Amino acid sequence: MGTPLLWRAFGSVSGLTRPRRNRAAGAASPHDRDRIFSADVKQEDQFQYAKTHCLSSYYSVFVARLAIMVMLAILIGLLTILTWHFTRSYTTKSLNGLAYGLRYELLQRPILRMWNILNSTVEITTAQVKLSEYVIRKYNKPTSQAEQIELYEMMKEVTWALFASRKALNAITINYRNGFVQAFHRDHRSNNTYYIYSDLSNYSITSSGPSSSEPLSSLRGWNDQSIHGNLSAIWYREPLDPTTGEKIGKARPILPDDLINIAGISQVPDGTATWHVAVSKYSDSPLLSAALPVWDPSRENIVAVVGVTTALYSVGQLMRELVEFHSGHIYLTSQQGYLLATSSNTPLLNNTPKGPKLMMANESQDPVIRAGAEWLKRTYGDNYPPSHEVHVENARLGDQHYYIDSFFLNLKRLPMVGVIIIPRKYVLGKVEERAFKTLIILICASLCILLIGCLCILILTNGVSKEMKLRAELISHLDARRRAEASSNYKSQFLANMSHELRTPMAAVIGLLDILLCDDCLTNEQYSTITQIRKCSTALLRLLNNILDISKVESGKLVLEEAEFDLGRELEGLIDMFSVQCINHDVETILDLSDDMPRLVKGDSARVVQIFANLISNSIKFTTSGHIVVRGWCENLNSINEDTKFSLEHKKPLCALKAKLLKQHGKTIIKRALNLKKDSTAILWFEVDDTGCGIDPSKWESVFESFEQADPSTTRLHGGTGLGLCIVRTLVNKMGGEIKVVKKNGPGTLMKLYLLLNTPTDTPELLHQENFAQHGISVVLALHGGMGRSMMSRWLAKKGVFTIEASDWNGLTQTLQELFHPRRSGSPNSSFRLPYSIVEAEMNLGDRIVAQNLVIVIDIALLDLSTEIWKEQLRFLDRYSRRVKFAWLLNHDTSNAVKVELRRKQHMVMVNKPLYKAKMIHILDTIVKETTMSSSDERISRSVREGEPHECLEMENIPFECVISSDESDTTEAANNAEARGDLQVEVSDQACYGKHIERYDVFNGSEGKFDEGRCEEQGNSGSGNPAPNRGKSLEGLRILLAEDTPVLQRVATIMLEKLGAKVVAVGDGLQAVNSLNCTKSADSKEMNRVMPGLVGTERSPTYDLILMDCQMPKMDGYEATKEIRKSEAGTGLHIPIVALTAHAMSSDEAKCLEVGMDAYLTKPIDYKLMVSTILSLTKRTDP
Amino acid sequence: MDAVHLKRQLITFTEQLFREGFLDEQFNQLQQLQDENNPNFVVEVVSLFFQDTERLLDELSKALDQANLDFKKVDGHVHQLKGSSSSIGAQRVQRTCIIFRNYCNEKNVQACLKCLQVVKHEFALLKSKMETLFNLEQQILAAGGPPSI
Repeated sequence: MGTPLLWRAFGSVSGLTRPRRNRAAGAASPHDRDRIFSADVKQEDQFQYAKTHCLSSYYSVFVARLAIMVMLAILIGLLTILTWHFTRSYTTKSLNGLAYGLRYELLQRPILRMWNILNSTVEITTAQVKLSEYVIRKYNKPTSQAEQIELYEMMKEVTWALFASRKALNAITINYRNGFVQAFHRDHRSNNTYYIYSDLSNYSITSSGPSSSEPLSSLRGWNDQSIHGNLSAIWYREPLDPTTGEKIGKARPILPDDLINIAGISQVPDGTATWHVAVSKYSDSPLLSAALPVWDPSRENIVAVVGVTTALYSVGQLMRELVEFHSGHIYLTSQQGYLLATSSNTPLLNNTPKGPKLMMANESQDPVIRAGAEWLKRTYGDNYPPSHEVHVENARLGDQHYYIDSFFLNLKRLPMVGVIIIPRKYVLGKVEERAFKTLIILICASLCILLIGCLCILILTNGVSKEMKLRAELISHLDARRRAEASSNYKSQFLANMSHELRTPMAAVIGLLDILLCDDCLTNEQYSTITQIRKCSTALLRLLNNILDISKVESGKLVLEEAEFDLGRELEGLIDMFSVQCINHDVETILDLSDDMPRLVKGDSARVVQIFANLISNSIKFTTSGHIVVRGWCENLNSINEDTKFSLEHKKPLCALKAKLLKQHGKTIIKRALNLKKDSTAILWFEVDDTGCGIDPSKWESVFESFEQADPSTTRLHGGTGLGLCIVRTLVNKMGGEIKVVKKNGPGTLMKLYLLLNTPTDTPELLHQENFAQHGISVVLALHGGMGRSMMSRWLAKKGVFTIEASDWNGLTQTLQELFHPRRSGSPNSSFRLPYSIVEAEMNLGDRIVAQNLVIVIDIALLDLSTEIWKEQLRFLDRYSRRVKFAWLLNHDTSNAVKVELRRKQHMVMVNKPLYKAKMIHILDTIVKETTMSSSDERISRSVREGEPHECLEMENIPFECVISSDESDTTEAANNAEARGDLQVEVSDQACYGKHIERYDVFNGSEGKFDEGRCEEQGNSGSGNPAPNRGKSLEGLRILLAEDTPVLQRVATIMLEKLGAKVVAVGDGLQAVNSLNCTKSADSKEMNRVMPGLVGTERSPTYDLILMDCQMPKMDGYEATKEIRKSEAGTGLHIPIVALTAHAMSSDEAKCLEVGMDAYLTKPIDYKLMVSTILSLTKRTDP
Repeated sequence: MDAVHLKRQLITFTEQLFREGFLDEQFNQLQQLQDENNPNFVVEVVSLFFQDTERLLDELSKALDQANLDFKKVDGHVHQLKGSSSSIGAQRVQRTCIIFRNYCNEKNVQACLKCLQVVKHEFALLKSKMETLFNLEQQILAAGGPPSI
């Protein structure tokens, strides 16, 4: 019932809040709200939804709480009412029954008494009648007065006997036919007994004679008149002793007023017994009088009437007694309502002037009786129920409740009504009080229970609602979190999608910067600025890449490729790349892959490279000196051969790892195994070991978190975002591996990781492991870096190649001297040590090794390149060149001059640093090939050496190609570590340029003459053809005579014109110019007869298309020369254009020039364009 | 030394020369004229200029030393010097020459002598600068850089 109301209220509340919110939003952003804040609004809506949801749940809880309370209230109320009702109604009912019985009983007893009184009265009356009849019969027909008197005396005796026997009797009267009256009267108040008789003189026996014949009519004639009419009669009263009946006083006539009721014939009109209630002056209570006729023996005439009067006093007495005991009031009334007896002491008679009269019940002086009578009268009026029985249980009289019961006693001639009024309090007072108390207690108790119950419910539901609220909050929080996650996911996805869009412009920027850097015409400042820009761009690109990679991984878009690739080669490329960076840092980068590494693996090469690139660049960043070693070894999952080198270190974790691996990746491995039965999964272990600052052990785990750096100062010192290692771990995990930082001896960090990669089993085993020991190769490793050198020598020793190490130039020279001049230079303090076998050192080392192939791998850094000493050093080495092979390790920035010099000295094997196994194998292969060739055929080997420049170039290019290819693949796939690569790219491109340039240079030098010829030829060809329209050669085919005395100008002008394609003849002064012109003319003139004029191009005697004439010249100046030329031309019709060249920049000069016959005018310095246009305009004009 | 670095130095130096007015656009044209056919053209021309100028300066000082000054002769020499210097783009020398010629026309001996000193000074300066420039070029070539300037 309350629920819909609540809902409506809630609805109105929410309806109120919503528009307000909207209004607020509208005020905040009137425009673009929909677009820009749509997301916000949506969120807010959702929030609102959650809030309303919460609110609704709150309301529902509230409603439920209310409902439970109401139910409880109803229940308790019902219980209370039922309890009260049952307790009360049953008690009341039984009590009512009891009360009825009591009332009935109470009323019955006075009625019984009444009845008794009546009965006794009747009995006495009857007895009196019987006795009277007997006596009268005996004295039948008294004829005489004496007899009459005797009869009366007799009657008096008899009557006295009866009267005395009954003390309760008030009076016995005998009224004879003749009007004589005998009566005994007892005054209860004065306790006197009187005998009352009338005067005999007036009465005669005879008088009754006539009446006997007509009993009925005589009876009528009798009537009251005999008493009241017989007023003349004198009544006497004689006090008697109440016990003996002896006459104690003198008879005294009494006034008729004092007469007692004497029953007359009128009271027995039909000859039967009658009853009536009478009052007397002597008694304050009504009297019950019964009258009975006395018949004569023949039963024809009534001879006398006997009346017996009994006071009803005793009934009232009884009632009083009863009422005293039971309380309440009882009264008896006649049918007419006259009071007969009451339980109270109030008088029953009205003292009127005519004597006492009966009073009505409702006139009683007792208030209760009067009230009861009035109530009865009011309620029933005259319409009593037929039996006159009334039972009212709850009549209100005054201010009290009473039971009123009335009974009807139907006596013949005297019907009576008994009424009993008992206060309700008497019967039900205690009960009702108790009931009321019970009710109050019950109500109180139920109220208490209700209150407590409500409280309990409140508390209980409060807890529930609190829980619900919390739960709702939790749900909303979860929702918010999910939304936040989703939005973060969107961000990641967005970034992942944006990656291409972001990278492309960056790549363009960097590419353009590279082009700009290659440009020659940059000043130092510009160059440094652009370099800075480039560095910044690469840094930005790296950052972008990292972020994008992370987002890609986070958004789950990173899908690893599955393609075969050469892991070794990729790593070598990487090392090549980083070594360039490291050389500036004095850090050695070493790649140490064990031989059992599978050459080809399946996986995502770009990502694998990225892992190592990140790790190595990280190491480089923190390593200022020392070395960075990348170690790798393999472990076949199916048959784990514990590597001897690392077995001690990894035995324990390996077993655990294997178990873990099988657990973790068991499924995928099985799947893979099912899919690719040919493949077998290998665990590739790697270590990246550096000698940098190291990582605090507490940070070993956290460095792999995103944006986490081991030291907060790192960002300041080294930059970076802390994403690198996170990406690495993600990638490693994606490849089914793990990475962690491992404790290492000494300074630095040791990162250990493994990858699960498939290796195609069907790949043919690469048989590059030629047994170099067979070829008797010995190696002298003259390398700077100690770590790499020792590693390499160990590896070579394992391969059966004898190695000697040397760390610097002195060491190398000593080694060489020891090897080749052992006896001479057996100095005891030599720093050279044979690390492996002293026994061998004891032997004639020189012979032994020289007999074999001795390869000296020499680091270019051993040479002193800063000064010119390196040439001396080379010369020193040259002495051994016939007996040993040199393999040079070049730096990326080794100058071309050095390379050229080396090549010149026939040191053909050159590789770039760093040296790793593949390169070593390559070197040894080359040398082995060479030696086999030379041993087989000496002459051929010579010729091979002649042609070796190409080979050497080829070989040198191998690492370049390698690097370039890897670099290209990197840039196409993902430009990670762009800086390192970018640097490398620059270096590589420079080197490539140098290489190319040298090549070109060689070719150029080799075929210079030929080239000139070719060019001339070409010139001639083009000269015969139409002049090329391009600007470069716009003066193609023109022959120009240049007259200029200043050698500088002459040279400049010549070259300028030649560059334009013209053929120039330069002369020193005007005279020469005139002469040369005349000379050609004379030659021409001969031929011109034969050959068509205007035909140009005859080789021997060229005519000139144009003359450039300096104005100021020695011997003959320009003006003079022009005048001369024009003079000679006169008449021939020829007009050779002459252009003045002058430093005089005045108009007068120009006028002077034109005056002497020049065609145009050019000022010095010669303007290139102006000159071209001038010449062209002049020659075209003259062209046929 | 690094060829690239040297080259940057060269470019910077050239810029400086231009900025200080030693050279002008004409020198660039001269450089453009240099190609495979004439690999050492600029050096050649500039050396020619040096020789010629030295000669001219010599003659000028001689001519100005004489008692009866032949201003016409002096003017001719200056004119020549002006022409050649403008051809290689030696701007400052050229400008001085213009002033020189004005004084010649005015026949102001003292001013002419002063101008001669200025020209000589300017020439010496230019010569040293150009020599530095060519040295740089040579170094670049030696370091294996591209021969072009």
